Amino acid sequence: MKNYLLFATLIILVSCGLDKGSKVKADKVKPVVVTVNYPLYYFAGRIGGELIQLEYPIPADVDPAYWIPDDDDLEIYQSADIILANGANYAKWMNNVSLPSSRVVNTTSSVKEKYIALEDVATHSHGAEGEHEHTGYAFTTWLDFEIAAVQAQAVKDELVKKFPDNKEELEANYELLKKDILNLHKLMQDVALLLEYQPVIGSHPVYQYLAKAYSLNIQSVHFEPDEMPSDDQWKEFDGIMEHHPARIMFWEDEPMPGVKEILNKKEIKTVVFNPCSNKIYDLDFLEAMKKNINNLSKLE
Amino acid sequence: MNQSFYLAIKYLQYYKIRTLVLVGAIGLILYLPLGLQRLIVESEDQMMARADNTPLIIGAKGNSTDLVINTLYFEQTKIDGLQFKNIEAIDEIGFGFSIPIISVFKARGFPIIGTNLDYFHFRDLKIGKGINLRYVGECVIGKKVAERLNLSPGDSLVSSPENFLDLAGVYPLQMKVVGILESTDTPDDHAIFTDLKTNWIIMGLGHGHQDLKNVNDPSLVLERDSAKVIANSKLFIYNKVDGKEMESFHFHGDINNYPITSILFIPENHKASTLLRGRFETGEFKEQIVVPSLIVENLLQKIFQVKQIFNTAFILVGIATLFILGLIIILTLRLRKDELYTMFSIGSSKNKTFEIIGFELFITALMSVVVMLVLYSFTGLFVDYFIHQFII
Repeated sequence: MKNYLLFATLIILVSCGLDKGSKVKADKVKPVVVTVNYPLYYFAGRIGGELIQLEYPIPADVDPAYWIPDDDDLEIYQSADIILANGANYAKWMNNVSLPSSRVVNTTSSVKEKYIALEDVATHSHGAEGEHEHTGYAFTTWLDFEIAAVQAQAVKDELVKKFPDNKEELEANYELLKKDILNLHKLMQDVALLLEYQPVIGSHPVYQYLAKAYSLNIQSVHFEPDEMPSDDQWKEFDGIMEHHPARIMFWEDEPMPGVKEILNKKEIKTVVFNPCSNKIYDLDFLEAMKKNINNLSKLE
Repeated sequence: MNQSFYLAIKYLQYYKIRTLVLVGAIGLILYLPLGLQRLIVESEDQMMARADNTPLIIGAKGNSTDLVINTLYFEQTKIDGLQFKNIEAIDEIGFGFSIPIISVFKARGFPIIGTNLDYFHFRDLKIGKGINLRYVGECVIGKKVAERLNLSPGDSLVSSPENFLDLAGVYPLQMKVVGILESTDTPDDHAIFTDLKTNWIIMGLGHGHQDLKNVNDPSLVLERDSAKVIANSKLFIYNKVDGKEMESFHFHGDINNYPITSILFIPENHKASTLLRGRFETGEFKEQIVVPSLIVENLLQKIFQVKQIFNTAFILVGIATLFILGLIIILTLRLRKDELYTMFSIGSSKNKTFEIIGFELFITALMSVVVMLVLYSFTGLFVDYFIHQFII
């Protein structure tokens, strides 16, 4: 009897072990997808769903555009099956690391002609190459929701390549996402009519694609929501105001009360339009963008 | 029998130098055709294995052999390059993926190969010591490079400047060795691998320098306004990529126009390979696409035609040696006339005398075969040298 019990226990233990092993194996089969910002993470999650293992090594309190991965984070990118990049030179750290190029997907490669070149340049000369300039592109491409839809499509196309058998499911997920994104586009177009021709000031130069896509007249300074701008920054602000008399200022997040007070005195209304580059605590991309548009619609 | 063997040994021991010369000469004559045959066969196998494992190579129009030799065996022959944008154009078709190669620079005599992590996966290169490439400015070296230069992870390696007289030209870059590859007995053992971007930095297309917005030295700045800062040549350019300096490294212009030497193309399947070659043949692409195994096979066929000449020469030399050997034996017997007479006088039979001489010849032949085998066993060590000296 004792022997039977021992045998039964052994069988149960072995079968538990097998179950665990096969689960690990099943997890491994899922391709790892890693992204360089939150919008792409959201798109990949909506389209790929349970088919993929989504990784997001970017900490919550940083701007992914300027974040630099440490060795462990870099390993996640290097070992991922798909690396979703934003393009337009977003996440400059990608220029300074080694990645398996065949797995990097530039989600804006088909709309390169829509990239917006930055105006700030630093020129210098040295060596044989002579004088040259440091230029770049604006990179918050997804704020033009038509571009965002293209980026979602690039994510879908890559996943279809990976899962040809699940093409229908992926296409269906993408169509739903596209519908949501284009709905944002429509809402934004309607709201933008309220701001037509009005000079607007941006707290940070992240609204270029938004401005271009929805005909907004935005000029930007470099203010942080949680910092009181320095005298030089206020001087720069006043300088812009001389030729760009804005009455509305877009902020990435709610500005400090002190800053709000100064702006109120200057008769400038503040409105939060969060580009949503990184995860927002309680909102997903779609909800965050709807909230942004709602904030704009409340402007008189 | 034992006595004959004993006497033969004693005779050979007494005439040490003559025996050694004879053994050496016969051993060498036996070895040469066999050794050369082995060198040729192993070189052929080694070169073909590398070529067979590489589906397609794409490069600028020109000498296809040079293109393959440069891309597969890292012999840095001067060939026209491509632009990085070629990769996107080719990959866009969707038949597989490209692995870019830059094979232009050297460091302490070894080729620096710029590529990306796909190359390591494709060639199944494993890191034996240290880690794989992570950041620009790092390099992973082949096992033989590590052994010959006595390098370990953490050491530095400086790229050789293109032109010592061009003081204002491309600066040498101090690269950090982060890993050593496990040996694969391929040209990868003799190469220094960096990221493509590190090679572009060596070319001077990317660099790191002092932050222009925060420079305090007014003599550095030629012009400054709200939109731009113009600096002069005095601006300090970093010659290594490390820590905080890494963040300052950047590239100028459009990376798509940056040069690469060639592309390894990995098609999804045979059909994709054929279709892609068709696209090149119909003139859709201006570049050339080659199947490395065909090019290498053709190259080896031409080179090894010489093998026939060698074989004939060895046969003739062998026959001549046999004649000389016969002559030596006859002359030796004549010289030993008195000795043989003494042997007969003390009662040795004719057969016994022939037995002793037979043993002497047998032992000499045996020792020659041993010499031949020893030389043959070392032949494998010279395959790499043979390939580089006589084939590529």
